[in-house]
Amino acid sequence: MIRRRKPISPERRAEAGELMIEVKNLSKRFDDRPVLDGLSFTVNAGETLGIIGPSGCGKSTILKLISGLIVPDSGEIIVHSKELGLVFQGSALLNSLTVRENMSLALRSKRLGRKEEEKIIADKLKLVGLGDYMYAFPTQLSGGQQKRTGFARAIANDPKVVLYDEPTTGLDPVMSTVIEDYIIEMADELNPASIVVTHQFSTWQRTADRIILLHAGQIQWQGTPEEALVSDNPYMKQFAHATREGPMLIGEI
Amino acid sequence: MTFSFPRKSLAKIHLSPWSFIEEQFGSGVELIGQCIILFCQTLYYIARAEIDWREVFRQCYMIGVKSFVVVSVTALFVGFAMSLQIARELVLFGADTAIGGVVSLALVREIGPITAGVIVAGRVGSAISAELTTMMITEQIDALKIMRIDPVQFLVVPRYLAGFLMMPILSIYAMFIGLLAGIMIAHSAANVPPATFLDSVKQTILDRDFFVHFLKAVLNATIVIIFSCAIGLHTRGGAEDVGLATTRSIVWTMTVIFIVNYIVTSLTYAPR
Repeated sequence: MIRRRKPISPERRAEAGELMIEVKNLSKRFDDRPVLDGLSFTVNAGETLGIIGPSGCGKSTILKLISGLIVPDSGEIIVHSKELGLVFQGSALLNSLTVRENMSLALRSKRLGRKEEEKIIADKLKLVGLGDYMYAFPTQLSGGQQKRTGFARAIANDPKVVLYDEPTTGLDPVMSTVIEDYIIEMADELNPASIVVTHQFSTWQRTADRIILLHAGQIQWQGTPEEALVSDNPYMKQFAHATREGPMLIGEI
Repeated sequence: MTFSFPRKSLAKIHLSPWSFIEEQFGSGVELIGQCIILFCQTLYYIARAEIDWREVFRQCYMIGVKSFVVVSVTALFVGFAMSLQIARELVLFGADTAIGGVVSLALVREIGPITAGVIVAGRVGSAISAELTTMMITEQIDALKIMRIDPVQFLVVPRYLAGFLMMPILSIYAMFIGLLAGIMIAHSAANVPPATFLDSVKQTILDRDFFVHFLKAVLNATIVIIFSCAIGLHTRGGAEDVGLATTRSIVWTMTVIFIVNYIVTSLTYAPR
């Protein structure tokens, strides 16, 4: 049976507490091409926000802006925690280091003792089913295993903010389900504010409490995954039902 | 007039020599600026003693130990060819006892550092550029930044220190191999005994020559590591850009090595 995240109730959201990510009037251009145009949203602790939209609409750019890898042209981003984990689309493991050493980098700032560090790494790897791969190099792992290692590295610090960049893209359906399960478990156990950027139907349907649909640099629709399926918004309707008819392809084909 | 492909990183086709010069000059100035900033950041971390010595030793192996064979072969044959030319000319003037002095002067002052520098630029500089560019493209550098690890401290400082330690060793080694080649050629082609050859070396070489040799080696290490790291850390794009970055790294490091070598020579040996 496929698990699905229970929709977060307004009471639980208030319970989960404080605002963790605030994005206000965010704009970003690459060369002369506007990618994001006046975007605003918030994410609370314990909430998982799904950002969906067609390829190239600026989904990953939002994550890079929130994590500070690039700077916005205008607008404001406030992240109320220094503990931030990012699961990269391509896992982004350092190939010259073992899985253990890759994980150790994430814990470097904590300056832990060797035994304590070893225990955290073993626990996190066990969580993603890779307890036996501690001394393997990334090139010795399959794509799914690399993705899971990237996931374990991102949560090594028990971050209060976790960002997922296309976590299931390029994976087979079974492995996608496994990764989605990890995202759900993470959200339930550690209660972080999470953002899942994806265009995979099952991923945003299963993992997100709330979704926003991006197109042309702006939020075209927002609501719950359930509401998305019955929405009359032309953008959401086209995206949710994967049809050619709709406003998203105008001027592109 | 310039036509460019849609992707910025791909090579441009220049239909006007002026636009070609303009772009080359612009990118050259930009690269030099990036190198200066990177070098200052590297020195900052070294001054703060924030050094991963394990990684430094690993890089010493990659940069230094793995270069010994190719430096040996190159220095040996450069030494053979140069000694043969010098011996041929000096024998004509009856100055065959001076072969050792002339060969050693050329080796200590120019050929030793240049040979080691060029070999390390080709073997190590290109590898560093390719590695760092690949790390940029596959978001490994971004992953380091997310984990609050400065790529300069983690990637550049160990490579710079390893280059700083290994380049003088490689350079002196290249000089000795070249001298060995000189002894062999002087003995076989001009009947100069090794003892005579070495006497001539002792009489000709000054302490200052060794200082200049060391200075050139250290400068070459700085040029190779900083230029190749700066190119690697500022390249975006895809697989093609890895190749372009590698080529750019070799062209820049070798060109700058030759220019700096001339500047050091002119400052230290120019007739007054």
